[in-house]
Amino acid sequence: MANKPQIRTNNSALIAMIADEDTITGFLLAGVGNVDLRRKTNYLIVDSKITVKQIEDAFKEFTSRDDIAIVLISQYVANMIRFLVDSYHKPIPAILEIPSKDHPYDAAHDSVLSRVKYLFNTESVASDRR
Amino acid sequence: MRSSENGIESSKEISQSEENVINFLDSMDTYLILVDSLSSALRQGWFELASARQSMGASRVNSSLFDLKSHHASTTFQVDEHEDIELPHFTLCKWASSDDPEKYSEEAKFEEDELLRNKSDSPRPQQRGATSHCSEYQERSAEIGGSPVKVDNQAEKERFKSLSMFGALVSPKLRATQSSFEKALEIVVEISNVRSSLLRSYDQVHEELKNTK
Repeated sequence: MANKPQIRTNNSALIAMIADEDTITGFLLAGVGNVDLRRKTNYLIVDSKITVKQIEDAFKEFTSRDDIAIVLISQYVANMIRFLVDSYHKPIPAILEIPSKDHPYDAAHDSVLSRVKYLFNTESVASDRR
Repeated sequence: MRSSENGIESSKEISQSEENVINFLDSMDTYLILVDSLSSALRQGWFELASARQSMGASRVNSSLFDLKSHHASTTFQVDEHEDIELPHFTLCKWASSDDPEKYSEEAKFEEDELLRNKSDSPRPQQRGATSHCSEYQERSAEIGGSPVKVDNQAEKERFKSLSMFGALVSPKLRATQSSFEKALEIVVEISNVRSSLLRSYDQVHEELKNTK
């Protein structure tokens, strides 16, 4: 029971974003911005002044909130906290790595594809079959 | 007799195993296609945003103008875990009232249904999840007496609210940016659903490989 994932059934949930200013601006225009009574937002704008610790804290906070369904994170930002992103295995919120303007998407770094590439590693598959 | 029964069981296991592998490869293919679509939608959005910034001026389109007063998101998601906790299903609910989140339900979902219908002519890899929910919402909307015109007004009102944080008069490029990112959001939802099924089918295949050791 202690490890039971957070469950929301048919309730509205938010999308959280950890990305550059332009990406956040675009998604806020699409209506996903949320500010609660404590003035906490569901996004973190990553610029030159943001530290890795702040990104880590934001990631941990967004993945522990039960009102967030999806966390969008720019892949270059995810690379800064790769150990945290790759060690996250809960179904909700879903973590999606997205490209940014200056950093195109690289499938080799995607956390989901990294998990499943084991099946494409011929040595590991062959050793299992022996 | 026993050997034929054993033969039938083992052939069933093999076909189930092959089905799992096919599901896994199918999900992975869809995932990669959707990620590529998302990249295209985002690139379009960034380009239009840059154009809007050029026509309106950088001081009118920047993060210092974001609305930091308490408000609810008008575009939210529904997470359905009835069938399987490890296989959640996400549905997008667009342009509900940001003033009263309780009012959003059927009206916004009906609007999503209309948008999906308009886009149903163009081939998309995955639409099954959102479409199955939208027909249910259409029935609910009809029950509560919602009309398409009312829904359109609500959606337009919320779109205008989002744009208005950059001023009352905005460049058409900013509206185009909004459309591109709305499209990107729809793709994000599809990717989230495919991600769940990809990881689920991976676990199944991985489990079978371990059992054959």
